[in-house]
Parts: sequence; C-alpha cells; structure tokens
Amino acid sequence: MSDFFHMGGFGVYIWSAMATALVLMLMEPMVLAMKRRSVLADIKRIKRLEERKNRKQ
Amino acid sequence: MNFYPLAGKLIPIFWLLAIVLIGIGLYWGFFKTADILNDQKQYYRIIFVHVASAWMAMWLYGVMVAWAMIGLIFNTRLSYMMASATAVTGTVMTIIALITGAIWGKTSWGTWWDWDPKLTTFLILLFIYIGYLALQSAIDDTRRSDKASALLSLVGLAIVPVIYYAVNCPDPNECASLHQESSLKRVESNILIGMLVTSLGFWAYSFATILMRARNIILERERNTTWVSNLDEVKK
Repeated sequence: MSDFFHMGGFGVYIWSAMATALVLMLMEPMVLAMKRRSVLADIKRIKRLEERKNRKQ
Repeated sequence: MNFYPLAGKLIPIFWLLAIVLIGIGLYWGFFKTADILNDQKQYYRIIFVHVASAWMAMWLYGVMVAWAMIGLIFNTRLSYMMASATAVTGTVMTIIALITGAIWGKTSWGTWWDWDPKLTTFLILLFIYIGYLALQSAIDDTRRSDKASALLSLVGLAIVPVIYYAVNCPDPNECASLHQESSLKRVESNILIGMLVTSLGFWAYSFATILMRARNIILERERNTTWVSNLDEVKK
C-alpha cells in the first residue's frame, strides 16, 4: 500500500497533480451551490417586500 | 422557460456519470497500467487528469463559441447564458491542465515551465478565457455585454488550431517543442482506456457544472418574471 502512495519516488508529484484537480473540481460546484442559495434568498426577500407593499395599498 | 426544470433533472444524472466514469478511469489508470513506460516512470500517470482537462479546456472553448454564435445569429438569450456558463468551467479546466502539466514537466523535463509553443499557446487560451469573463463583467447592460463577449470569443477561436498545430506541425524542424505530439495511436491500450474514460468523466462534470451555472444565471436575469416567482424553490 505504501508502495502505491510512494509511486517510485514520484508520489509527491503525482498526488499533488491529482489533488489540484480534485480541489478545483470540488470547489467549483460548492461555489455554484452557494451562489444558488444566495440568488434564491435575494429573490424571496424581494418577493416578500413586494407582497407587504401590495397589502398596504 | 422549459430549460430550467430540465437542467435541474439532468444535473444529478451528470454528477453520477462524472463520479462513476472518473472513478473507473483513474482505477484503470493506476491499477491496470505498467509502472514504467518507455522513458517515462510512474509520473506519466499525471496524464489521466492532464489530458482530460486539456481536452475539455479546448473542447469547451469550441462549445462556448458555438453558443455565442447562435446568440449572435438568432439573438436568443438562453444561448448567451449558456456561453457564459461554459466559460467558467473552461477556465477551471485550463487551470487544471496548466498546473498538472507544470508538475509533469518538472518530473519529465526537469522544469516547471518552458516557453514551448504548446505551453505558451495554452497560457494564451487561459488569458482569452479570463478576457471573456472580464469583458462580460465590465459591461453592466446584459445585452451589450453578451454581444461584446460573444464577438471576443469568436476572435479568440483562432488560438485553438494554433494549440493543436503547436505540436502536430507537418515539419518538425519548424517547431521544435518539449511537449510531445498528441499521438493516440501510439499510446498503450490500457493507458488509452484510462485516459478516455477519465475524459468522459470530465465531460460529464463539465455538463453538470455548466447546467448548475446556467440555472443560476437564469434565476438572476429572470428574477422579475412570474415564472420565477412561481417556482417551488421560491415559494417555500
């Protein structure tokens, strides 16, 4: 098993390349999910404000 | 907007495909291949993420230009939204290709970077992607920013064949480069399987993230429409 991670002395290079791809490809969908939540929250807030305004009139 | 709910249904399917395909591709690449390949030692295994991301970076540029062209010709809003949704994933893929390429270069050529034609043109691709995104965010009016960035993407398309011919040029004396030719025919079959399956996984990943981003852009741009305020996720 440790041979596998060692990769004939190139483990640091191979695993850091894999980690770069993994980190970026996890970050992108996480950012997108956060963005979705904030956009939806904005839309809901504006909708509530408008409903309140309409009731007063 | 029929696209919005359809995209919502497709996203989990593409995520599943991406995880399964990248899993199989990397398993194959790490366990079914020889440790030493001609003059390359274990470090050649970086190929599985390097080639997959580099292919996607170039392919997505083409996809982005196609959407931009459709937008320019038919003036359809959704195609512009798809073009800008594609640009960010393309940028991420270009960054992955450049970083993994630098690491591979360090092990194989002994240097992180060289102003070799392939590497240089790929760096320019990154700058074009960034230019597209910067231009789009610099113009407040959506319709104008869509059109301007679509034109920029069209001009930038010239770099894609240059990247390809930077290593596959007809006369090797005219373009000496460190970067090896893209020679699918010469690649050993187990490595090829790992490479192709991982690339398919990256393709599914791109679909998933582009659809997620497209949905975000649609919500942002159409926030004042009745169909958005009638969405289940807004009513809750």
